[in-house]
Amino acid sequence: MADADKKVIELFYDTISPYSWIAFEVLCRYRSRWNIDLRLRPFSLAAVVTETGNSPPGRVPAKLKWMGRDLMRQAHFYKIPFRGRKDPNNDMANKDNIKPMFLLTAVSMDCPQHLERLTRELWLRFWSREEDITQPASLEAAATAAGIPADQTAALLAKLQDETVKARLTETTQEALRHGAFGAPTIVAHVGGKPHMYWGSDRFLLIADVLGEEWQGPLTELAHL
Amino acid sequence: MAAPVQARKTVEFFYDVLSPYTWLAFEVMCRYQQKWNIDLKLRPFFLAGIMKGADNRPPAMVPAKGQYMTKDVLMLTDMYKVPFNWPSNPTEVMFVKGSVNAGRFLTAVDMSCEQYLEELTRQLFLRIYYRDEDITEPASLLSAAMKAGIPEDLAKQLLSTIKDQTVKDRLRETTQTALDYGAFGSPTIVAHVDGKPKMFFGSDRFELMAHMLGEKWHGPLPELAKAKI
Repeated sequence: MADADKKVIELFYDTISPYSWIAFEVLCRYRSRWNIDLRLRPFSLAAVVTETGNSPPGRVPAKLKWMGRDLMRQAHFYKIPFRGRKDPNNDMANKDNIKPMFLLTAVSMDCPQHLERLTRELWLRFWSREEDITQPASLEAAATAAGIPADQTAALLAKLQDETVKARLTETTQEALRHGAFGAPTIVAHVGGKPHMYWGSDRFLLIADVLGEEWQGPLTELAHL
Repeated sequence: MAAPVQARKTVEFFYDVLSPYTWLAFEVMCRYQQKWNIDLKLRPFFLAGIMKGADNRPPAMVPAKGQYMTKDVLMLTDMYKVPFNWPSNPTEVMFVKGSVNAGRFLTAVDMSCEQYLEELTRQLFLRIYYRDEDITEPASLLSAAMKAGIPEDLAKQLLSTIKDQTVKDRLRETTQTALDYGAFGSPTIVAHVDGKPKMFFGSDRFELMAHMLGEKWHGPLPELAKAKI
């Protein structure tokens, strides 16, 4: 099948967003079922929320409680080892959460073949094993677990504060904002030369429809975890 | 010997007709009454009361989110074959005019003649979100009631009770019941599985709900659309 036929799907995501993990796993699985070219676009959810005047959903106690239950049910349904955190609101508000996004951005620039596995490792750390993702040792551990060679990992960690990396993360975030993003995940399907933006991990019926494909359920047999 | 018939699972549908996504969920649930082994109980509540009780805010207060939802609702209603049109002034409809009379009227019908509740709900949705018509005035509610097949004198009698304390109390109670289940918006759907209530928010959890009910999700079933225009 010609690559030119493949429809580009961009997933704008942030490590602190649990629903982004669901969307990520679903889209990874559907690469073998749908004629798509999945592009991973790490961005800054904190910046998107600030710029759009939005607020984190956990601000409403009843909503936070429901999200906890909803995510556990979805984790079970999609076979994703999400286990939550004892204090998600506080942990998600940590300003240093930008650091894993700088790392993912650097990987997307220098060695994109590692982007998928590193993304998954960061989610496993933050949302499955309640581990840190902000300290250099944590990022090194994630990179190693993702199979990135030691010298490459060292080079990536050394450039986390580079202006080029920061600028690229800002650019990607701005691109998502131009598509109308106000949260994560933000999925953009390019069909017939037009971008179609979707928010959340619960619009796959609509996405399938716009792609001219069929939704085949959670495809848990293709679970990577 | 025939296999034992499984008892129907009760699914409570807490709703306010002010919410577009609620219309989607309502039509899907009505279609699935025929497909799933469920006993659907419609529970009209008061969304403004839910927002207050849960300290929540309407989602469209964030401009980019409001713009997205405008398109999202149109895409979903088109796919689900629900005949939706945005009113010319949604802000006025949702935040100024509100739904207290409609909620009380639905409650009165639920208390006296619940066999009309489904179609009355549908007629109110068609007024507000298909024909951009009022749902606050007595004449509006009467028109919806008659289109729902409620005999005129019964409809007028029920309309005369909407300011009765029993009706107000019942609407407040239903709203509180939903809050006790953890509601923070509309629709709030509570599926009772093995004696435990499972709460779902929104119109996009049906595949998950099916899984938890031990049923199969066949998509929005547009061929079973009931809203006649």
